[in-house]
Amino acid sequence: MKTVGLTKIYGGRIKALDGVDLNVESGKVFALLGPNGAGKTTLMRILTTQIKPTSGEAYVFGLSVVREGAKVREMVSYVPQEMSVWTDISGYENLLIYAKIYGIPPSRRNKLIWEALENMGLSEFANNLVKTYSGGMIRRLECACALLTRPKILFLDEPTIGLDPSARKAVWERLSIFRKENGATIFFNTHYMDEADLYADEIAIINRGRIVALGTPESLKHSLGGEIISLEVEDSAFGSKVLEAIKGLDVVSDIIMGGNEVNIVSRDAEHSLPEIMDILRLNGVSVRRVSITKPTLDDVFLKYAGVRLEPVAAGRISEVRHVRSMIRRG
Amino acid sequence: MRGFMRNAFAMIELEMRRLKHDRTELYSRAVQPILWIAVFGPIMGSVRAIPTGGIPYTDYITPGALIQSTTFVSIFYGLTIVWERESGILKKLLVAPASRYSIVIGRAMASGVRAIFQALIIIPVALLMGVRFTPSVLNFILALLVIFVSSGGFAATSILVASFMKTRERFMGIGQALTMPLFFASNALYPVAMMPEIMQWIAHFNPMSYVVDAVRSLMITGNLANLPIDLAAIFIFDAVMFVVASINFRRIIE
Ligand SMILES: Nc1ncnc2c1ncn2[C@@H]1O[C@H](COP(=O)(O)OP(=O)(O)OP(=O)(O)O)[C@@H](O)[C@H]1O
Ligand SMILES: [Mg+2]
Repeated sequence: MKTVGLTKIYGGRIKALDGVDLNVESGKVFALLGPNGAGKTTLMRILTTQIKPTSGEAYVFGLSVVREGAKVREMVSYVPQEMSVWTDISGYENLLIYAKIYGIPPSRRNKLIWEALENMGLSEFANNLVKTYSGGMIRRLECACALLTRPKILFLDEPTIGLDPSARKAVWERLSIFRKENGATIFFNTHYMDEADLYADEIAIINRGRIVALGTPESLKHSLGGEIISLEVEDSAFGSKVLEAIKGLDVVSDIIMGGNEVNIVSRDAEHSLPEIMDILRLNGVSVRRVSITKPTLDDVFLKYAGVRLEPVAAGRISEVRHVRSMIRRG
Repeated sequence: MRGFMRNAFAMIELEMRRLKHDRTELYSRAVQPILWIAVFGPIMGSVRAIPTGGIPYTDYITPGALIQSTTFVSIFYGLTIVWERESGILKKLLVAPASRYSIVIGRAMASGVRAIFQALIIIPVALLMGVRFTPSVLNFILALLVIFVSSGGFAATSILVASFMKTRERFMGIGQALTMPLFFASNALYPVAMMPEIMQWIAHFNPMSYVVDAVRSLMITGNLANLPIDLAAIFIFDAVMFVVASINFRRIIE
Protein backbone atom coordinates (compact mmCIF):
# COMPACT_ATOMS: atom_id res chain seq x y z
CA MET A 1 0.00 0.00 0.00
CA LYS A 2 1.39 3.32 -0.99
CA THR A 3 0.29 6.94 -1.16
CA VAL A 4 1.99 9.84 -2.86
CA GLY A 5 1.15 13.43 -1.99
CA LEU A 6 -2.39 12.49 -1.09
CA THR A 7 -4.56 15.53 -0.44
CA LYS A 8 -8.26 15.78 0.28
CA ILE A 9 -10.17 19.01 0.55
CA TYR A 10 -13.83 18.76 1.51
CA GLY A 11 -16.20 21.26 -0.03
CA GLY A 12 -13.34 23.50 -1.18
CA ARG A 13 -12.58 24.52 2.41
CA ILE A 14 -11.71 21.79 4.88
CA LYS A 15 -8.26 20.38 4.25
CA ALA A 16 -8.59 16.91 5.77
CA LEU A 17 -5.38 15.50 4.22
CA ASP A 18 -2.40 17.59 3.29
CA GLY A 19 0.16 15.76 1.17
CA VAL A 20 0.31 12.33 2.78
CA ASP A 21 3.16 10.04 1.67
CA LEU A 22 3.05 6.56 3.13
CA ASN A 23 4.47 3.18 2.28
CA VAL A 24 3.18 0.06 4.01
CA GLU A 25 4.88 -3.27 3.38
CA SER A 26 2.63 -6.23 2.88
CA GLY A 27 2.19 -8.55 5.84
CA LYS A 28 2.70 -5.75 8.34
CA VAL A 29 0.36 -4.35 10.97
CA PHE A 30 0.30 -0.63 10.40
CA ALA A 31 -1.30 1.90 12.74
CA LEU A 32 -2.37 5.40 11.85
CA LEU A 33 -2.48 7.24 15.15
CA GLY A 34 -3.99 10.65 15.57
CA PRO A 35 -6.46 12.77 17.52
CA ASN A 36 -10.05 13.45 16.49
CA GLY A 37 -10.34 15.16 13.15
CA ALA A 38 -6.75 14.38 12.14
CA GLY A 39 -7.85 12.82 8.85
CA LYS A 40 -7.53 9.12 9.68
CA THR A 41 -10.97 8.18 8.42
CA THR A 42 -10.57 10.32 5.33
CA LEU A 43 -7.35 8.51 4.42
CA MET A 44 -8.92 5.12 4.95
CA ARG A 45 -11.97 6.01 2.91
CA ILE A 46 -9.76 7.04 0.01
CA LEU A 47 -7.77 3.80 0.27
CA THR A 48 -10.99 1.76 0.24
CA THR A 49 -12.21 3.59 -2.89
CA GLN A 50 -15.15 5.30 -1.20
CA ILE A 51 -14.09 8.84 -1.96
CA LYS A 52 -11.67 10.34 -4.42
CA PRO A 53 -8.63 12.33 -3.38
CA THR A 54 -8.48 15.97 -4.42
CA SER A 55 -4.94 15.33 -5.62
CA GLY A 56 -2.20 12.77 -5.24
CA GLU A 57 -2.13 9.04 -5.84
CA ALA A 58 -2.85 5.96 -3.77
CA TYR A 59 -2.15 2.33 -4.61
CA VAL A 60 -3.18 -0.90 -2.95
CA PHE A 61 -1.07 -3.84 -4.16
CA GLY A 62 0.02 -1.66 -7.03
CA LEU A 63 -3.55 -0.91 -8.12
CA SER A 64 -4.69 2.69 -8.26
CA VAL A 65 -7.64 3.21 -5.94
CA VAL A 66 -8.99 5.85 -8.28
CA ARG A 67 -8.67 4.11 -11.63
CA GLU A 68 -8.86 0.44 -10.62
CA GLY A 69 -11.38 0.68 -7.81
CA ALA A 70 -13.25 -2.48 -8.76
CA LYS A 71 -10.11 -4.62 -8.56
CA VAL A 72 -9.09 -3.06 -5.27
CA ARG A 73 -12.50 -3.82 -3.80
CA GLU A 74 -12.02 -7.49 -4.56
CA MET A 75 -8.95 -7.67 -2.36
CA VAL A 76 -9.79 -5.60 0.66
CA SER A 77 -12.02 -5.92 3.68
CA TYR A 78 -13.11 -2.93 5.64
CA VAL A 79 -14.58 -2.25 9.05
CA PRO A 80 -15.93 1.30 9.19
CA GLN A 81 -15.68 3.47 12.27
CA GLU A 82 -19.44 3.33 12.76
CA MET A 83 -21.41 0.21 13.49
CA SER A 84 -21.89 -1.69 10.25
CA VAL A 85 -24.05 -4.76 10.77
CA TRP A 86 -27.78 -5.26 10.42
CA THR A 87 -29.19 -5.42 13.91
CA ASP A 88 -32.58 -6.91 13.11
CA ILE A 89 -31.18 -10.23 11.91
CA SER A 90 -28.84 -12.69 13.62
CA GLY A 91 -25.05 -12.67 13.58
CA TYR A 92 -24.99 -15.76 11.42
CA GLU A 93 -27.38 -14.18 8.95
CA ASN A 94 -25.19 -11.10 8.68
CA LEU A 95 -22.28 -13.28 7.65
CA LEU A 96 -24.47 -15.29 5.31
CA ILE A 97 -25.59 -12.19 3.40
CA TYR A 98 -21.99 -11.00 3.09
CA ALA A 99 -20.84 -14.43 1.99
CA LYS A 100 -23.42 -14.24 -0.79
CA ILE A 101 -22.45 -10.73 -1.79
CA TYR A 102 -18.83 -11.82 -2.03
CA GLY A 103 -19.81 -14.84 -4.07
CA ILE A 104 -18.38 -17.46 -1.76
CA PRO A 105 -19.56 -20.76 -3.29
CA PRO A 106 -22.32 -22.55 -1.33
CA SER A 107 -20.11 -25.57 -0.74
CA ARG A 108 -17.61 -23.55 1.32
CA ARG A 109 -19.97 -20.96 2.70
CA ASN A 110 -21.08 -22.65 5.87
CA LYS A 111 -17.60 -23.76 6.84
CA LEU A 112 -16.12 -20.30 6.37
CA ILE A 113 -18.94 -18.61 8.26
CA TRP A 114 -18.55 -20.89 11.27
CA GLU A 115 -14.80 -20.49 11.17
CA ALA A 116 -15.13 -16.72 11.22
CA LEU A 117 -17.64 -16.89 14.07
CA GLU A 118 -15.44 -19.22 16.03
CA ASN A 119 -12.40 -17.12 15.32
CA MET A 120 -14.12 -14.15 16.91
CA GLY A 121 -15.59 -16.18 19.75
CA LEU A 122 -19.18 -15.74 18.67
CA SER A 123 -20.34 -19.28 17.90
CA GLU A 124 -22.60 -19.46 20.94
CA PHE A 125 -24.41 -16.30 19.95
CA ALA A 126 -24.56 -16.94 16.21
CA ASN A 127 -28.32 -17.26 16.09
CA ASN A 128 -29.17 -14.39 18.40
CA LEU A 129 -30.36 -11.12 16.96
CA VAL A 130 -27.53 -8.60 16.74
CA LYS A 131 -29.75 -6.18 18.68
CA THR A 132 -29.05 -8.25 21.76
CA TYR A 133 -25.24 -8.12 21.35
CA SER A 134 -22.94 -5.99 23.48
CA GLY A 135 -20.73 -3.34 21.88
CA GLY A 136 -17.75 -5.67 21.98
CA MET A 137 -19.65 -8.51 20.37
CA ILE A 138 -20.83 -6.23 17.59
CA ARG A 139 -17.27 -5.15 16.89
CA ARG A 140 -16.18 -8.79 16.83
CA LEU A 141 -18.99 -9.63 14.45
CA GLU A 142 -17.81 -6.84 12.18
CA CYS A 143 -14.31 -8.24 12.28
CA ALA A 144 -15.73 -11.68 11.50
CA CYS A 145 -17.43 -10.15 8.43
CA ALA A 146 -14.11 -8.69 7.40
CA LEU A 147 -12.21 -11.96 7.86
CA LEU A 148 -14.84 -14.05 6.11
CA THR A 149 -13.51 -13.34 2.66
CA ARG A 150 -9.87 -14.02 3.57
CA PRO A 151 -8.74 -10.59 2.38
CA LYS A 152 -5.14 -9.77 1.56
CA ILE A 153 -5.49 -6.47 3.34
CA LEU A 154 -7.78 -5.44 6.17
CA PHE A 155 -8.72 -1.83 6.76
CA LEU A 156 -9.98 -1.27 10.29
CA ASP A 157 -11.21 2.18 11.28
CA GLU A 158 -10.88 2.34 15.06
CA PRO A 159 -11.55 -1.38 15.51
CA THR A 160 -11.83 -1.23 19.28
CA ILE A 161 -13.65 2.07 19.65
CA GLY A 162 -15.88 2.11 22.69
CA LEU A 163 -14.66 -1.25 24.01
CA ASP A 164 -13.36 -1.91 27.47
CA PRO A 165 -9.72 -3.05 27.75
CA SER A 166 -10.48 -6.76 28.00
CA ALA A 167 -12.75 -6.67 24.95
CA ARG A 168 -10.06 -4.76 23.06
CA LYS A 169 -7.55 -7.39 23.96
CA ALA A 170 -9.85 -10.16 22.80
CA VAL A 171 -10.40 -8.51 19.42
CA TRP A 172 -6.67 -8.06 18.88
CA GLU A 173 -5.76 -11.55 19.92
CA ARG A 174 -8.11 -12.93 17.35
CA LEU A 175 -6.94 -10.52 14.68
CA SER A 176 -3.32 -11.53 15.25
CA ILE A 177 -4.20 -15.20 14.92
CA PHE A 178 -5.91 -14.49 11.64
CA ARG A 179 -2.95 -12.50 10.40
CA LYS A 180 -0.46 -15.21 11.30
CA GLU A 181 -2.51 -17.86 9.57
CA ASN A 182 -3.19 -15.86 6.41
CA GLY A 183 -0.26 -13.50 6.14
CA ALA A 184 -2.62 -10.56 5.63
CA THR A 185 -1.74 -6.90 5.96
CA ILE A 186 -3.63 -4.93 8.60
CA PHE A 187 -3.98 -1.17 8.36
CA PHE A 188 -5.80 0.37 11.29
CA ASN A 189 -6.76 3.78 12.61
CA THR A 190 -6.75 4.51 16.28
CA HIS A 191 -6.53 7.24 18.80
CA TYR A 192 -5.52 4.84 21.55
CA MET A 193 -1.81 5.21 22.08
CA ASP A 194 -1.39 1.88 23.85
CA GLU A 195 -3.20 0.04 21.08
CA ALA A 196 -0.79 1.32 18.46
CA ASP A 197 2.13 0.60 20.78
CA LEU A 198 1.10 -2.98 21.51
CA TYR A 199 -0.15 -4.26 18.21
CA ALA A 200 1.46 -2.30 15.38
CA ASP A 201 4.71 -3.15 13.63
CA GLU A 202 4.84 0.38 12.37
CA ILE A 203 3.09 3.58 13.36
CA ALA A 204 2.41 6.78 11.49
CA ILE A 205 1.35 9.73 13.59
CA ILE A 206 -1.05 12.02 11.81
CA ASN A 207 -2.09 15.46 12.87
CA ARG A 208 -4.14 17.98 10.91
CA GLY A 209 -3.83 15.95 7.75
CA ARG A 210 -0.05 15.59 7.84
CA ILE A 211 2.12 12.62 8.76
CA VAL A 212 4.34 14.03 11.49
CA ALA A 213 6.26 10.91 12.48
CA LEU A 214 6.76 7.40 11.19
CA GLY A 215 8.52 4.33 12.52
CA THR A 216 8.31 1.29 14.77
CA PRO A 217 6.96 1.95 18.26
CA GLU A 218 10.48 1.44 19.62
CA SER A 219 12.24 3.72 17.20
CA LEU A 220 9.67 6.44 17.77
CA LYS A 221 10.23 6.26 21.49
CA HIS A 222 13.99 6.15 21.08
CA SER A 223 13.86 9.15 18.86
CA LEU A 224 13.09 11.12 22.01
CA GLY A 225 16.66 10.43 23.18
CA GLY A 226 16.15 7.59 25.61
CA GLU A 227 14.96 6.82 29.11
CA ILE A 228 15.51 9.02 32.11
CA ILE A 229 16.82 7.95 35.51
CA SER A 230 16.02 10.52 38.16
CA LEU A 231 18.01 10.38 41.42
CA GLU A 232 17.56 12.39 44.55
CA VAL A 233 20.97 12.52 46.28
CA GLU A 234 22.66 13.97 49.36
CA ASP A 235 24.40 16.80 47.54
CA SER A 236 27.67 16.88 49.49
CA ALA A 237 29.66 14.13 47.80
CA PHE A 238 28.44 14.40 44.20
CA GLY A 239 31.56 15.76 42.56
CA SER A 240 32.98 15.93 39.07
CA LYS A 241 34.73 12.59 39.50
CA VAL A 242 31.43 10.82 39.94
CA LEU A 243 30.01 12.73 37.03
CA GLU A 244 32.82 11.63 34.72
CA ALA A 245 32.49 8.01 35.82
CA ILE A 246 28.79 7.91 35.04
CA LYS A 247 29.24 9.72 31.75
CA GLY A 248 31.80 7.05 30.90
CA LEU A 249 29.12 4.38 30.73
CA ASP A 250 28.43 3.92 27.06
CA VAL A 251 24.63 3.81 27.28
CA VAL A 252 24.49 7.12 29.10
CA SER A 253 24.19 10.10 26.82
CA ASP A 254 23.63 13.02 29.13
CA ILE A 255 23.41 14.14 32.73
CA ILE A 256 21.37 17.09 33.89
CA MET A 257 21.90 18.34 37.43
CA GLY A 258 19.51 20.53 39.36
CA GLY A 259 20.08 20.96 43.11
CA ASN A 260 19.57 17.63 44.77
CA GLU A 261 18.13 16.09 41.65
CA VAL A 262 20.19 14.36 38.99
CA ASN A 263 18.62 13.30 35.71
CA ILE A 264 20.56 10.76 33.71
CA VAL A 265 19.55 10.09 30.11
CA SER A 266 20.22 6.49 29.16
CA ARG A 267 19.38 4.27 26.23
CA ASP A 268 18.71 1.38 28.58
CA ALA A 269 17.83 2.53 32.07
CA GLU A 270 17.21 -0.87 33.59
CA HIS A 271 20.68 -2.16 32.80
CA SER A 272 22.62 0.99 33.54
CA LEU A 273 20.98 1.62 36.91
CA PRO A 274 22.90 -1.04 38.87
CA GLU A 275 26.19 0.20 37.44
CA ILE A 276 25.33 3.76 38.31
CA MET A 277 24.40 2.72 41.84
CA ASP A 278 27.77 0.95 42.19
CA ILE A 279 29.64 4.07 41.14
CA LEU A 280 27.66 6.19 43.57
CA ARG A 281 28.21 3.79 46.45
CA LEU A 282 31.96 3.57 45.78
CA ASN A 283 32.13 7.34 45.98
CA GLY A 284 30.04 7.52 49.11
CA VAL A 285 27.04 9.23 47.60
CA SER A 286 23.84 8.22 49.31
CA VAL A 287 20.71 8.09 47.22
CA ARG A 288 17.34 8.90 48.73
CA ARG A 289 15.06 8.07 45.85
CA VAL A 290 15.27 6.65 42.32
CA SER A 291 12.76 6.66 39.50
CA ILE A 292 12.84 5.65 35.87
CA THR A 293 10.77 7.39 33.26
CA LYS A 294 10.35 5.75 29.90
CA PRO A 295 9.09 7.82 27.03
CA THR A 296 5.58 6.82 26.00
CA LEU A 297 3.97 7.30 22.66
CA ASP A 298 2.17 10.11 24.38
CA ASP A 299 5.50 11.91 24.73
CA VAL A 300 6.27 11.06 21.12
CA PHE A 301 2.95 12.48 20.12
CA LEU A 302 3.57 15.59 22.17
CA LYS A 303 6.92 16.10 20.51
CA TYR A 304 5.80 15.64 16.92
CA ALA A 305 2.28 16.97 16.96
CA GLY A 306 2.86 19.68 19.52
CA VAL A 307 -0.25 18.63 21.44
CA ARG A 308 -1.21 15.77 23.68
CA LEU A 309 -3.74 13.26 22.46
CA GLU A 310 -6.96 14.13 24.20
CA PRO A 311 -7.79 12.00 27.19
CA VAL A 312 -9.86 9.21 25.78
CA ALA A 313 -12.17 8.51 28.69
CA ALA A 314 -14.74 11.18 27.89
CA GLY A 315 -14.68 10.30 24.22
CA ARG A 316 -15.15 6.67 24.90
CA ILE A 317 -18.34 7.12 26.85
CA SER A 318 -19.90 9.17 24.10
CA GLU A 319 -18.79 6.61 21.54
CA VAL A 320 -20.47 3.83 23.45
CA ARG A 321 -23.56 5.93 23.74
CA HIS A 322 -23.44 6.58 20.03
CA VAL A 323 -23.13 2.92 19.16
CA ARG A 324 -25.91 2.02 21.57
CA SER A 325 -28.28 4.65 20.25
CA MET A 326 -27.70 3.44 16.71
CA ILE A 327 -28.59 -0.06 17.76
CA ARG A 328 -31.73 1.06 19.48
CA ARG A 329 -32.87 2.97 16.42
CA GLY A 330 -32.35 -0.04 14.18
CA MET B 1 -24.41 -10.45 -14.86
CA ARG B 2 -24.05 -13.40 -12.52
CA GLY B 3 -22.67 -11.09 -9.87
CA PHE B 4 -25.60 -8.79 -10.45
CA MET B 5 -28.19 -11.49 -9.83
CA ARG B 6 -26.23 -12.82 -6.88
CA ASN B 7 -26.16 -9.43 -5.15
CA ALA B 8 -29.76 -8.61 -5.96
CA PHE B 9 -30.88 -11.93 -4.50
CA ALA B 10 -28.74 -11.41 -1.42
CA MET B 11 -30.54 -8.11 -0.86
CA ILE B 12 -33.92 -9.78 -1.28
CA GLU B 13 -32.90 -12.53 1.11
CA LEU B 14 -31.86 -9.93 3.65
CA GLU B 15 -35.35 -8.43 3.51
CA MET B 16 -37.04 -11.80 3.89
CA ARG B 17 -34.92 -12.61 6.90
CA ARG B 18 -35.79 -9.28 8.43
CA LEU B 19 -39.46 -10.01 7.92
CA LYS B 20 -39.00 -13.43 9.44
CA HIS B 21 -37.78 -11.83 12.67
CA ASP B 22 -40.14 -8.90 12.88
CA ARG B 23 -43.40 -8.31 11.05
CA THR B 24 -44.93 -5.60 13.21
CA GLU B 25 -44.34 -2.95 10.58
CA LEU B 26 -46.33 -4.96 8.05
CA TYR B 27 -49.27 -5.11 10.44
CA SER B 28 -49.14 -1.51 11.54
CA ARG B 29 -48.94 -0.34 7.95
CA ALA B 30 -51.99 -2.46 7.11
CA VAL B 31 -54.23 -0.51 9.47
CA GLN B 32 -54.74 2.49 7.21
CA PRO B 33 -55.73 0.65 4.03
CA ILE B 34 -58.04 -1.57 6.03
CA LEU B 35 -59.78 1.56 7.32
CA TRP B 36 -60.25 2.76 3.74
CA ILE B 37 -61.75 -0.56 2.74
CA ALA B 38 -63.78 -1.28 5.87
CA VAL B 39 -65.02 2.20 6.81
CA PHE B 40 -64.50 4.78 4.09
CA GLY B 41 -65.59 2.48 1.26
CA PRO B 42 -68.97 1.41 2.65
CA ILE B 43 -69.85 4.95 3.83
CA MET B 44 -68.94 6.70 0.56
CA GLY B 45 -70.50 3.84 -1.35
CA SER B 46 -73.84 4.43 0.33
CA VAL B 47 -73.86 7.99 -1.02
CA ARG B 48 -73.36 6.78 -4.58
CA ALA B 49 -71.69 10.06 -5.51
CA ILE B 50 -68.83 8.62 -7.50
CA PRO B 51 -69.26 6.95 -10.88
CA THR B 52 -67.40 3.68 -10.69
CA GLY B 53 -68.60 2.03 -13.86
CA GLY B 54 -71.12 -0.19 -12.13
CA ILE B 55 -68.93 -1.84 -9.49
CA PRO B 56 -69.48 -1.32 -5.73
CA TYR B 57 -67.48 1.62 -4.40
CA THR B 58 -65.61 -0.50 -1.84
CA ASP B 59 -64.53 -2.83 -4.62
CA TYR B 60 -63.52 0.17 -6.67
CA ILE B 61 -61.19 1.61 -4.02
CA THR B 62 -59.73 -1.71 -2.83
CA PRO B 63 -56.88 -1.66 -5.39
CA GLY B 64 -56.39 2.02 -4.57
CA ALA B 65 -56.06 1.36 -0.85
CA LEU B 66 -53.86 -1.62 -1.55
CA ILE B 67 -51.51 0.31 -3.82
CA GLN B 68 -51.48 3.28 -1.49
CA SER B 69 -50.25 0.98 1.22
CA THR B 70 -47.62 -0.85 -0.83
CA THR B 71 -46.42 2.39 -2.40
CA PHE B 72 -46.02 4.02 0.99
CA VAL B 73 -44.06 1.04 2.22
CA SER B 74 -41.72 1.47 -0.72
CA ILE B 75 -41.46 5.22 -0.41
CA PHE B 76 -40.41 4.89 3.20
CA TYR B 77 -37.99 2.14 2.32
CA GLY B 78 -35.44 4.94 1.90
CA LEU B 79 -35.56 5.35 5.68
CA THR B 80 -33.80 2.00 5.96
CA ILE B 81 -31.17 3.33 3.59
CA VAL B 82 -30.80 6.53 5.61
CA TRP B 83 -30.30 4.43 8.73
CA GLU B 84 -27.73 2.33 6.95
CA ARG B 85 -25.97 5.49 5.90
CA GLU B 86 -25.85 6.81 9.45
CA SER B 87 -24.41 3.52 10.54
CA GLY B 88 -21.50 2.21 8.50
CA ILE B 89 -23.44 -0.41 6.56
CA LEU B 90 -23.57 1.45 3.26
CA LYS B 91 -19.88 2.27 3.42
CA LYS B 92 -19.15 -1.39 3.88
CA LEU B 93 -21.51 -2.42 1.07
CA LEU B 94 -19.89 0.05 -1.28
CA VAL B 95 -16.45 -1.37 -0.50
CA ALA B 96 -17.72 -4.87 -1.36
CA PRO B 97 -17.28 -6.09 -4.92
CA ALA B 98 -20.87 -5.29 -5.86
CA SER B 99 -21.98 -2.81 -8.51
CA ARG B 100 -24.15 0.06 -7.36
CA TYR B 101 -26.77 -1.09 -9.88
CA SER B 102 -26.98 -4.45 -8.17
CA ILE B 103 -27.26 -2.83 -4.76
CA VAL B 104 -29.90 -0.30 -5.75
CA ILE B 105 -31.98 -2.62 -7.91
CA GLY B 106 -31.58 -5.47 -5.43
CA ARG B 107 -32.82 -3.32 -2.61
CA ALA B 108 -35.66 -1.95 -4.70
CA MET B 109 -36.71 -5.52 -5.43
CA ALA B 110 -36.38 -6.34 -1.75
CA SER B 111 -38.86 -3.60 -1.08
CA GLY B 112 -41.10 -5.18 -3.70
CA VAL B 113 -41.03 -8.40 -1.71
CA ARG B 114 -42.08 -6.49 1.36
CA ALA B 115 -44.92 -4.91 -0.63
CA ILE B 116 -46.22 -8.32 -1.70
CA PHE B 117 -46.41 -9.47 1.90
CA GLN B 118 -48.21 -6.22 2.70
CA ALA B 119 -50.74 -6.96 -0.02
CA LEU B 120 -51.22 -10.50 1.22
CA ILE B 121 -52.26 -9.15 4.61
CA ILE B 122 -54.76 -6.67 3.20
CA ILE B 123 -56.43 -8.86 0.56
CA PRO B 124 -58.02 -11.33 3.03
CA VAL B 125 -59.52 -8.40 4.93
CA ALA B 126 -61.01 -7.10 1.68
CA LEU B 127 -62.42 -10.56 1.00
CA LEU B 128 -64.02 -10.55 4.44
CA MET B 129 -65.57 -7.17 3.64
CA GLY B 130 -67.25 -8.80 0.67
CA VAL B 131 -65.10 -7.32 -2.07
CA ARG B 132 -65.49 -9.46 -5.18
CA PHE B 133 -62.20 -10.18 -6.96
CA THR B 134 -62.09 -11.52 -10.51
CA PRO B 135 -61.99 -15.30 -10.11
CA SER B 136 -58.75 -15.80 -12.00
CA VAL B 137 -55.55 -17.10 -10.48
CA LEU B 138 -53.55 -15.81 -13.42
CA ASN B 139 -54.93 -12.30 -12.98
CA PHE B 140 -54.21 -12.44 -9.28
CA ILE B 141 -50.61 -13.50 -9.83
CA LEU B 142 -50.15 -10.86 -12.52
CA ALA B 143 -51.54 -8.23 -10.14
CA LEU B 144 -49.05 -9.25 -7.46
CA LEU B 145 -46.31 -9.06 -10.07
CA VAL B 146 -47.42 -5.53 -10.97
CA ILE B 147 -47.31 -4.63 -7.28
CA PHE B 148 -43.83 -6.13 -6.95
CA VAL B 149 -42.39 -4.38 -9.96
CA SER B 150 -43.98 -1.00 -9.32
CA SER B 151 -42.96 -1.04 -5.66
CA GLY B 152 -39.41 -1.52 -6.89
CA GLY B 153 -39.73 1.71 -8.87
CA PHE B 154 -41.09 3.62 -5.89
CA ALA B 155 -38.37 2.21 -3.64
CA ALA B 156 -35.73 3.31 -6.15
CA THR B 157 -37.29 6.78 -6.06
CA SER B 158 -37.03 6.65 -2.32
CA ILE B 159 -33.38 5.58 -2.47
CA LEU B 160 -32.74 8.49 -4.81
CA VAL B 161 -34.38 10.88 -2.35
CA ALA B 162 -32.30 9.34 0.45
CA SER B 163 -29.12 10.02 -1.55
CA PHE B 164 -29.90 13.73 -1.43
CA MET B 165 -31.75 14.08 1.88
CA LYS B 166 -29.19 12.43 4.02
CA THR B 167 -30.81 12.78 7.41
CA ARG B 168 -33.79 10.97 8.80
CA GLU B 169 -35.67 14.19 9.55
CA ARG B 170 -35.27 15.67 6.09
CA PHE B 171 -36.15 12.37 4.51
CA MET B 172 -39.31 12.05 6.60
CA GLY B 173 -40.28 15.57 5.60
CA ILE B 174 -39.96 14.83 1.89
CA GLY B 175 -41.62 11.44 2.30
CA GLN B 176 -44.67 12.92 4.02
CA ALA B 177 -44.88 15.71 1.48
CA LEU B 178 -44.73 13.23 -1.38
CA THR B 179 -47.12 10.49 -0.36
CA MET B 180 -50.48 12.18 0.16
CA PRO B 181 -50.38 14.24 -3.06
CA LEU B 182 -49.36 11.10 -4.92
CA PHE B 183 -52.38 9.34 -3.46
CA PHE B 184 -54.96 12.08 -4.00
CA ALA B 185 -53.70 13.00 -7.45
CA SER B 186 -54.35 9.47 -8.62
CA ASN B 187 -57.32 7.34 -9.54
CA ALA B 188 -57.15 5.44 -6.25
CA LEU B 189 -60.38 6.85 -4.74
CA TYR B 190 -62.18 8.41 -7.73
CA PRO B 191 -61.90 8.41 -11.52
CA VAL B 192 -59.44 10.87 -12.97
CA ALA B 193 -62.24 12.41 -15.04
CA MET B 194 -63.84 13.80 -11.85
CA MET B 195 -60.79 15.84 -10.90
CA PRO B 196 -60.13 19.51 -11.62
CA GLU B 197 -58.24 19.93 -14.86
CA ILE B 198 -54.83 20.62 -13.34
CA MET B 199 -55.14 17.56 -11.13
CA GLN B 200 -56.05 15.47 -14.16
CA TRP B 201 -52.92 16.63 -15.84
CA ILE B 202 -50.85 15.70 -12.80
CA ALA B 203 -52.60 12.34 -12.53
CA HIS B 204 -51.42 11.47 -16.01
CA PHE B 205 -47.82 11.80 -14.88
CA ASN B 206 -48.45 10.04 -11.61
CA PRO B 207 -47.11 6.49 -11.82
CA MET B 208 -49.49 5.47 -9.07
CA SER B 209 -52.49 6.01 -11.41
CA TYR B 210 -51.13 3.45 -13.82
CA VAL B 211 -50.41 0.95 -11.08
CA VAL B 212 -53.88 1.33 -9.58
CA ASP B 213 -55.44 1.04 -13.02
CA ALA B 214 -53.49 -2.12 -13.83
CA VAL B 215 -54.31 -3.79 -10.52
CA ARG B 216 -57.94 -2.69 -10.71
CA SER B 217 -58.41 -4.13 -14.16
CA LEU B 218 -56.69 -7.39 -13.20
CA MET B 219 -58.27 -7.88 -9.80
CA ILE B 220 -61.68 -6.21 -9.96
CA THR B 221 -63.06 -5.26 -13.38
CA GLY B 222 -61.40 -7.84 -15.57
CA ASN B 223 -61.37 -5.25 -18.37
CA LEU B 224 -57.81 -5.40 -19.65
CA ALA B 225 -58.09 -2.85 -22.47
CA ASN B 226 -55.77 -0.35 -20.77
CA LEU B 227 -53.35 -2.88 -19.39
CA PRO B 228 -50.63 -2.56 -22.07
CA ILE B 229 -50.44 1.21 -21.58
CA ASP B 230 -50.34 0.78 -17.81
CA LEU B 231 -47.58 -1.80 -18.00
CA ALA B 232 -45.59 0.31 -20.42
CA ALA B 233 -45.85 3.32 -18.09
CA ILE B 234 -44.76 1.24 -15.08
CA PHE B 235 -41.87 -0.23 -17.04
CA ILE B 236 -40.61 3.19 -18.12
CA PHE B 237 -40.98 4.53 -14.59
CA ASP B 238 -38.97 1.62 -13.18
CA ALA B 239 -36.24 1.78 -15.78
CA VAL B 240 -35.74 5.52 -15.32
CA MET B 241 -35.76 5.36 -11.53
CA PHE B 242 -33.40 2.36 -11.41
CA VAL B 243 -30.85 4.09 -13.58
CA VAL B 244 -31.09 7.52 -11.96
CA ALA B 245 -31.03 6.10 -8.43
CA SER B 246 -28.04 3.87 -9.21
CA ILE B 247 -26.05 6.68 -10.80
CA ASN B 248 -26.56 8.87 -7.76
CA PHE B 249 -26.09 6.16 -5.17
CA ARG B 250 -22.41 6.74 -4.45
CA ARG B 251 -23.32 10.29 -3.54
CA ILE B 252 -25.00 8.99 -0.42
CA ILE B 253 -21.76 8.14 1.36
CA GLU B 254 -19.90 11.28 0.34
N1 LIG C 1 -17.78 14.10 4.45
C1 LIG C 1 -17.14 15.18 4.98
N2 LIG C 1 -17.47 16.42 4.57
C2 LIG C 1 -16.84 17.50 5.07
N3 LIG C 1 -15.86 17.46 5.98
C3 LIG C 1 -15.49 16.25 6.44
C4 LIG C 1 -16.10 15.05 5.96
N4 LIG C 1 -15.53 14.01 6.58
C5 LIG C 1 -14.60 14.52 7.41
N5 LIG C 1 -14.57 15.87 7.33
C6 LIG C 1 -13.64 16.76 8.05
O1 LIG C 1 -12.33 16.38 7.72
C7 LIG C 1 -11.49 16.40 8.87
C8 LIG C 1 -10.87 15.03 9.09
O2 LIG C 1 -11.90 14.11 9.43
P1 LIG C 1 -11.67 12.56 9.64
O3 LIG C 1 -13.01 11.96 9.87
O4 LIG C 1 -10.87 12.03 8.52
O5 LIG C 1 -10.82 12.52 10.97
P2 LIG C 1 -10.49 11.30 11.92
O6 LIG C 1 -9.04 11.36 12.14
O7 LIG C 1 -11.05 10.06 11.39
O8 LIG C 1 -11.22 11.72 13.25
P3 LIG C 1 -12.00 10.82 14.34
O9 LIG C 1 -10.97 10.34 15.30
O10 LIG C 1 -12.93 11.79 14.95
O11 LIG C 1 -12.70 9.73 13.61
C9 LIG C 1 -12.36 16.86 10.02
O12 LIG C 1 -12.16 18.25 10.19
C10 LIG C 1 -13.75 16.59 9.54
O13 LIG C 1 -14.64 17.53 10.10
MG1 LIG D 1 -12.31 8.66 12.08
